Order: sequence, then C-alpha cells, then structure tokens
Amino acid sequence: MSEVAGRRHQISLPQWATLPVVVGGFIVLAWIIIGLTVPLWAPYDPTMLAGRRFVPPGAEHWLGTDALGRDVFTRTLYGVRHSLPIAAAVIASAVVIGCTLGAIAGFVGGIVDEAIMRLVDVTLSFPAILLAMAVTAALGPGLANAAIAMIIVWWPIYARLMRAQVLAVREREHVEAAIASGATPSRVLFKHILPLCWSPIIVNATMDFGQVILLAASLSFIGLGAVPPTPEWGQMISDGALHFYRWWIAAGPGIAILTIVLGFNFLGDGLRDYLDPRSP
Amino acid sequence: MKPHFTGLLAGVAALAASSTFMLPAFAQEQPLVIARNLEINSLDPHRAFCDTCQIYLSATYQGLVKLGPDEKSVVPALATEWTANENQTQFTFKLAPDAVFSDGSPVEAKDVKWTFERLKNVKGDPSFMMAGVQSIETPDDKTVVINMESPNSEFMGILAAPYVGIINSDVAMENGASAGEDAATADQAETWFLANSAGSGPYVLQTYRPDDELRFVRNENFWQDAPPIGEIVIDQVADAVSQAQMLQSGQADIAMQVDPDTASTINSPDIVIETVPSYNFIYVVFSPGAEANQVPLDLEVRQALAYAIDYQGIIDFTVGGEGKMQASPIPNGFPGTEGLPMPEENLEKAKELLASKGLDKGFSIDATVASMNVYGVDLALLMQKVQQDLSRINVTVNIQPVASAVWREQIVKPGIPFSARFYAPDYYGSAQYVQFFGMIPDSWWERNAGGQGKVDVVNQREVELLEKALSSSGEAMEQAYHEIALEMIKDRIIVPVVSPNLVLAYRNDIEGVRYSACCNLPLAEISRK
Amino acid sequence: MLGYIARRLIAMPFLLLGVITVAFLLTHFTTADPLTSIIGERQMNNPAVVAAARERWGLDRSLPEQYVVYLKNLLSGDFGTSFRTRQPVAQDLLVRLPATLELVIAAMIIGTLFGIALGVIAARFQNRAPDNLARLVALFGSSIPVFWLGLVVLFIFSVQLGWLPGPGRIDSRMPAPPFVTGFYTIDTLLDGNWAAFRSVLAQMILPACVLGWTVTGIVSRMVRASMLDVLSQEYILAARAKGAGELRILLHHALRNAMLPTLTILGFSFAYLITGAILTETIFTWPGIGSYAVAAARGLDHPAIIGVTIVGGMAFLISNLVTDITYALVDPRVKIGGRAAQ
Repeated sequence: MSEVAGRRHQISLPQWATLPVVVGGFIVLAWIIIGLTVPLWAPYDPTMLAGRRFVPPGAEHWLGTDALGRDVFTRTLYGVRHSLPIAAAVIASAVVIGCTLGAIAGFVGGIVDEAIMRLVDVTLSFPAILLAMAVTAALGPGLANAAIAMIIVWWPIYARLMRAQVLAVREREHVEAAIASGATPSRVLFKHILPLCWSPIIVNATMDFGQVILLAASLSFIGLGAVPPTPEWGQMISDGALHFYRWWIAAGPGIAILTIVLGFNFLGDGLRDYLDPRSP
Repeated sequence: MKPHFTGLLAGVAALAASSTFMLPAFAQEQPLVIARNLEINSLDPHRAFCDTCQIYLSATYQGLVKLGPDEKSVVPALATEWTANENQTQFTFKLAPDAVFSDGSPVEAKDVKWTFERLKNVKGDPSFMMAGVQSIETPDDKTVVINMESPNSEFMGILAAPYVGIINSDVAMENGASAGEDAATADQAETWFLANSAGSGPYVLQTYRPDDELRFVRNENFWQDAPPIGEIVIDQVADAVSQAQMLQSGQADIAMQVDPDTASTINSPDIVIETVPSYNFIYVVFSPGAEANQVPLDLEVRQALAYAIDYQGIIDFTVGGEGKMQASPIPNGFPGTEGLPMPEENLEKAKELLASKGLDKGFSIDATVASMNVYGVDLALLMQKVQQDLSRINVTVNIQPVASAVWREQIVKPGIPFSARFYAPDYYGSAQYVQFFGMIPDSWWERNAGGQGKVDVVNQREVELLEKALSSSGEAMEQAYHEIALEMIKDRIIVPVVSPNLVLAYRNDIEGVRYSACCNLPLAEISRK
Repeated sequence: MLGYIARRLIAMPFLLLGVITVAFLLTHFTTADPLTSIIGERQMNNPAVVAAARERWGLDRSLPEQYVVYLKNLLSGDFGTSFRTRQPVAQDLLVRLPATLELVIAAMIIGTLFGIALGVIAARFQNRAPDNLARLVALFGSSIPVFWLGLVVLFIFSVQLGWLPGPGRIDSRMPAPPFVTGFYTIDTLLDGNWAAFRSVLAQMILPACVLGWTVTGIVSRMVRASMLDVLSQEYILAARAKGAGELRILLHHALRNAMLPTLTILGFSFAYLITGAILTETIFTWPGIGSYAVAAARGLDHPAIIGVTIVGGMAFLISNLVTDITYALVDPRVKIGGRAAQ
C-alpha cells in the first residue's frame, strides 16, 4: 500500500496522506468545525418551534420539520455537539483506564495480571450493546449514564491491547539493557516500553470513535440514552420511526451518523495501513 | 462446485413453481386479524388491567349484565332480571336457566359468589370494583343476593365492566385458583389463565404468545347465538404506521391504534376510516407533594401553569385536531359533565398569578413521563409541546421520559412534580373518576399528588358530594356529579388536555366494528359481508 | 495445542459464573423498585399486597441471600419469572431462542455469501475499481447504523413498492407450524405446508438481509486478504503457466485455500450478529430474544434482563471460544493467549 502511494504521489506528500486518510480526515474535521461553529450560523434554534409540523424538505427547511415543528437540518447539525464530545469522553476514559490496567497487568505479571485479565474476560463476555443496556437500565436514562455504560464496555479492549503490546516490547533488547543498567521499574515502563506501544492503540481508538457513536445512537434509539429535547441523532431517528412516512425526519440524522462514522473508519483504515500494513 | 450449484438452483426453482399451485388450505374461513399493540399485563380476569385485556375479557367471559347499545344503560347478560332494595344496599339477581360455560357446565350462583370473592381477595388491579361489597348469598342455584356496606348507585354499572365477568369456579379451582381471604398469596392460577379461558362468552382462548399474538376461537358450547367469525387473532404490531400498512396490504382486517396523522396517509378504496369521539383522555397533573419540587406548587402557581397551556394547539398538534377539550377528569358525556367550563389559555392571567407569587422571573420544574403512545398521543412528545408553551412564562420544564414501570414507581415515591398520563373508563359511571381523581382521602391521586400525605390536598366538599351522588339517582345524581366536577376543576391538580377521537380503521369487507365504553371493541358483533 | 484448548474449556464455567454475577449485581443497583411492574400502580399503596409480592418474588431478603437463591434456581433451570409477561423467563427465552437463531443463521448465510463474492472480486481486481468499490461497500456496511438501515429498507419496500412483510415470522392469518425444532423454516417443511413455508421465507428476507449486511464487510476483507495471500503462492503461478482458466484458478484453487482462515472470521461475525440482532428484531418486530431484551430493559423487568444477559453472554463466550480455537488450529503461529482484534 505504501509502495503504491509512493509511486502515485510524485509530489512530496507525506507518506501517511493516502486517499482514505485524507478523505476521512476531511470529513471528521468538517464535523468538528460544524460542531464548534454551528450556533453562529444555524438557520434556526434546535429546540424551539421553527415552522409548521411535518413540512417536507424545501427552500425554507432543507430537511423539513419534525413532529414539533423544529427544523430537522439544524437539529442534525447540532447533533454532533452531543455525539462527538460523548464519544471523545468515552474513548479517552476507556483508553486511560484500559491502558493503565493493561500496562500494569503486562508489566507486573503474576496474580495482578491474572486478576485484571479475568475481569477483562468477564466484561468481554457480554455483547457490548447488551451490557450497555443492562447498565443503563440500572442507572436510568440520560446521556451521562449511557456514557458510563459505554466506558464500562470499552475499557477491556484497550487493557488487552496494551498488555499484549507491553508483553511484546518487554522482551526487546533495549529494555533488557535498561533493566540491566539499573533503571527503576517505573522508568523502564514509562521511558522505554510505553512509547513503543501506542500505534495499535491509536488505530483502534480512531476506529472506535465510529463504533462508540453508533452504540450511543443505538442506546438513544432504544430509549436508554438521550432525553428530549436534546437533538441527539439516535433519539431523532427514534422520533422519525414514529412518523415513518415523513422520511426526512430520520434521513438527516441517519446520513449524519453514516458520514461521520465513515470518516472515522476511513481515517482508522488509512492509519492502520500506514502503521501496520500487514493486517487485513 | 459448479454441478452442485446448478442442481441446487433447479431444486429451488421447482419448489417455487410447485408452491404457486398450492391453494392455501385456509381460504374458506380466514381468521379475523386485528393489529394492535398488545401491552397485556395478564390474562387472569382478576389481575388483567389493560385495554387489550378489556377486548379479550369481554369476548371470553360474561358478566351478570352488560352495557346496552346506547352505551349508558345495562341490559341482561348472564342475569335475566334483577332488583335493588330501596336504598341501593342490596341487589338480587336471577341467572339465565340455560346459561352454560365453555365446557358445557351450567352457570350457577356459586360461580358468581366465588368470582366476586376472588376478585376482591386476590387484590389485583381491578379489585377496587368490589369495594363496598359486604356479603354475597346464594339462596338457590340460580339466585344471587349481594349486600353492600353503604348505598352505591353505580354498582349496576360496575357489574357491566369486563373485569367482573363470571369464571367457571370448578375448572379454575382445579387449576390452582382460590377465592378465600388469603387469595392474594394462595392463588396459583395466573399462569394457567395465560393459556386458558374459563368463561361463558362467545369465544375461548386458543393460544397466547407474549409479544406475538393472542388467538381465540368460537366457543362451541355458547348458550346464545354463535358469533359470526370463527377465529380471531390479535397480532402484536407496535406502531400505527405498521398497522396501517398491514391494513392496506390485506394482512390485517382491523387496525386499532391508527392515529389521525397516519390515517390521513391511507388512500386505499378498500379501507374504511371512521373517527368517533371516545371517553378516553390525556391529562397533565401537578403533585405539590413531590420531593423534587423546587418551588411550592400552590394553587396560584398551578392555575398559572394551567393558563399557559395552549389547549387548542395541543389538540391540533397531538391528534391533528381530531379530539376535544375536556373540562374535568370526568369525561365528556358522563353524568354531570353537561355545561362545564372548558380550560382556557390566558397568558396575561398566567403572568399575573406568577407575579403575585414573586415568580415572574420564572422557575424550573421536573417532568417525568412514561414514554408510551396512547390513543395516538405520544406522551413524551406531548410534554415537549407543553414545555414550549410554558417557556412563554419563563417556566423551564425538564423532561425525563422513562419506561412505564418506572413511572408507576416514581409517581408514588418520591412523586413527580409535573407529569402526563391517560385514562380509559372501566364502565359507564362517574363515580370511578371521583374515586380515582378526586381529592378525597386515600384516592389514588390524592395520595400521589399529596406526596403520601406530605401536603394536604384533600377537598372535603368532594367527599360529601360523592356520598350524596352514590345514594341518589337521576337528576339529583347528575347534579351532585356536576358539583364534584366543578370542585375538581378548582383543585387544579388534574388538568385534562385532550380527549382524542378514536380512529376505527378496517377493511370494507367486514362490518359491526364499533367502539364501546367498557370493552373497546365488542368482538362478537363483527362479521364479514 | 490441546493444552490451550483444555485451558480455555476449564476457564468457561468460571467465566460463566462471572457473567451471572455481573448480571445479577447490575440489576440490583437500579434506581427504581421492580415491584411496581408486578402488582400495578393502584396496589402500590396497599401494604399487604406489597408485602405479599415481596415475599413471593424474594425481594425482601438481603442481597447475598438473593444471590444464593438465584444461583440455586439457575442450576435447576429456573431463571425467575418475568415481571412483564408473567411467565418463567426460561420459557420466554426458550420460545424466542429459535426465532433469533433462525434469523442470525439466515443473516450469516446471506452476509457470508455476499462477503465471499465481494472478497473474491476485490482480490481478483486488486487495487483497481472493483476492489475499491468492494472496499467501499464493506466500509459502508460497518458504518451504517443497523436500525437506520432497517428503517430505510422498510421505507423503500413499504412506501415505494407498497409491500411490507409485516411483523412476525409468519403471515398473521396462518397459525404457527407444529413445534418440532422451533425453526419455522424447518417446521413448515416438516408439516408439508408449502404456503406457510413461503410466508416464513418472505417474512425473513428483509431482516436477514439487513442484519447480514453488517458482516459482509468483515467477511469480504478477510476473504480478500487470504485470497491475495494464496494468489501470490507459487502453485498458483504454476497453474497459470499450465494454462488453467482464470475462473478455475480463482474458485477452485484460491478460494478453497482461502476458506480456512475465513472460517475464523465466522465465529467472530456470529458474535457481531448477536449484537445486531437486538436492534434488527426491534425494527422488524421479530419475536426473538433481541426484542425481548429491549422490552425488558425499557420495562425494568429484572429477571428477564438477567436472563437475557446470561444467555447473550453464554452465546458470546461460546462463539469466541470457537473463534479462538479455530484460529489457533488454523494458524499455529498465533501467540497463545492473544486474540484477534475485537
């Protein structure tokens, strides 16, 4: 893949700037910019009445209005202000918790390793959405609780990943050299091992952004996530399902989810090709 | 690989070809298919309490009396004649001599006594209908005497409710049912009732598959005229759009929960759409006793909030105009509701009242509502409209949609400051509304709105008036209920927002479809043309 | 090798216990009293009824006691009684399990067949237009929310074509076939009822296709990768040199050898399908475990939530175990103890 990239781009483009990375990055960047700036230029308010109910898409309302007369286009754009930060929070927390525990497990070994890995195994024994549903049912609806549920579901993956990386890197020569020269365990861990572990984590995290957004939308769709009148995409699709013949209500958020998840998938795909070209 | 593939292809083609020549065996007598959201909580006649349950119970069981075609008076069912003593404290019934249960055994006085005692003692949702019954005597096999503790002019109406159908006591007892004082814990028959019916009605239960379907067949031993349709299936279809679609494609004969919005999208010439007024209504409710109240919900505040709601807008918004305003918790058309003042939208008055309490800057109120769609109205969506309305007087409504089970828990404890709910009648009579909605001690809403006694919301006038209503009849009774209704309006705890019209949507090759106050849809009247 | 398999098998019951414990704990740290869904709103004010119900459902004992009671019941096949349907959860699950399995298997077949086709095309035309198109289709499959896809498909088939199969597994006018396996496809055939069989297939097509597309992507990627691997081998060059036709090389030589690694993906996609089934069943009103799970979570039906979580966990455990074992069997170079990326 990198060979092809090098051949095609005769201009001096950096090696990682393959088509998927560029397209994906562009999409993600576009959504981030939308999320940050939409209050400044949105045509309507996302939670207040904007026109008659069920107006089909047209000049005044590009994606029509919903059951409460709110502008669907505005709500779709505002939706990213809920989905992205939640996804970021969930992934950041999952990565921090998971990598910490995974690094400890891999580095310390022994019974600590066994205990942590058993916990990982049990958590990974559940289908993600089922576990998230059970946790959210226990805690109650709301985006915050859904976020907690998703963090609980996601951290084991990073724990496993990190642990595998630490185990692999630990055997390398420069690490053994560092240990032989009397470096403290924490110094060995932080200065010699960890810096080499990050690439699969980054790839995974990027791909996971899309999956977390999907899971959050699924939970809201079921009714276990966002509460009205929050313009959250899953919630909006659920509303749209109620008024099925007014296809535009669900079309906006659906396309939004599709594009942003595609963007992250492209990005992650491209990054993976660059960092680890051998995996399928 | 290739040879196997062609062989497979040929096989599939042969299968498809042969099946087109197969006539469906059921073409002669097709079952009637009704599409609705089942939401069944139980099929035990004394524990069931839901709209579909009403349809099921009134088709498989019969009461002593039933609601007549005028929807107001009671006419004979299992009882051919009855008398009441002067002050409405004793009722005597004579059972029809040829009445038999679905297994052929005769309906006897002991079955009536057993049924009523079980209804009272099993302490299920409909048990309140036997409140005030002191004792039941059975002087002979076909005579039943019921003694009441205090006068109750509504008792005859109650006996027409589908929850008061007579059960075949021998069969039920064989399968674990018990009617004694300890029935609440001793009775084991609920599971049996999920697969069997033991009544005298025109239909018997064939199969019930939760979340899938409810299927019943004609009772071969029915002692009156056999119903025209031999088999009826109530198919689980959760949303109005799918129901409408099934209707149009011919897969369903009746769609029961099509809302006016969806109905307007049906354009097939084979479908009949009728809109009739119903006694069902949706209301919003304030609970001054709820723990989460940030501002005391005094009478003036409640009045202000009630003035800020756009009632006509809500009717347009939720049911596309197919609904009526309702003055008090007693539905339009029930005794006492003539000439009551409708709720009014008045932003000026609302702001004045809030200002008089120093709240003109506004405040926040929590609203937890069950996320369900009833009678075409999505409660969470309704709340969002109210949220928009109230923002005009600077009141912020924080909506929390929850599952129905959670709502039923929270409304009791810790209470919900502001919510919305629905109600459908169990029989034709106004007392049930006073007993449920009135601010009389220990009524369901008195308890919940008052936070189980934390805030005193009791209206003593209503207590006196109810006694008067129960022991009078005719004009005097109507007058008493009229005054009660005025009191309930003054309370401003329960504020009805819309009484949705019912949309009856069915294929034009069937007839006899009508809405009934007690039973939703009397099945035995339906036939194919 | 055997040691690895043995270790995984021994670990299973402990993992299962962990699954059960987590499920049990989860549903007891709730924000609502489950009692209301049993006895109804009106009776919540009646202390006698509340006490009787608490006793009957065991909700009056301490948490450890409830746990022990629950474990004992589980061992005898009793998952408790659903608050919502009033029937034993075990029975509810048993009745619904074949529905979900039938859907998942159909989806797996459809998704895998399409995935293989896409993968073969992608490998054959590597880095050219068909390959990129196949890659795009695969990416779309894993980026689209399955519940939205279901809605779109329903919309196209109902509004545009005017044909909606309707909810359920069989036409509402036909009674369910006599129970033999619980799989309506098999049972209607055994019953000799062609009309019912056709109806069952018609009802299943849309949800199976929607669900199947979610795994088309991963299958096609795997097939492409292993095909590319195989196609670069020497014996392929030899076959070409001998003059064998392109199609024969592709299907007879390459695909056959690429299938083995693809098998490892099947276990993984089965797990993926279980997840997707939950939402697909809800959209298509398919009376399986998925829609049961959603109804249970919404209604705080605790015994049902625990039951579904345990069954789901078990299914996941088993399919992961199968995946890992086949992966280890197929590729002995794999580090024992690691796992294919989630």
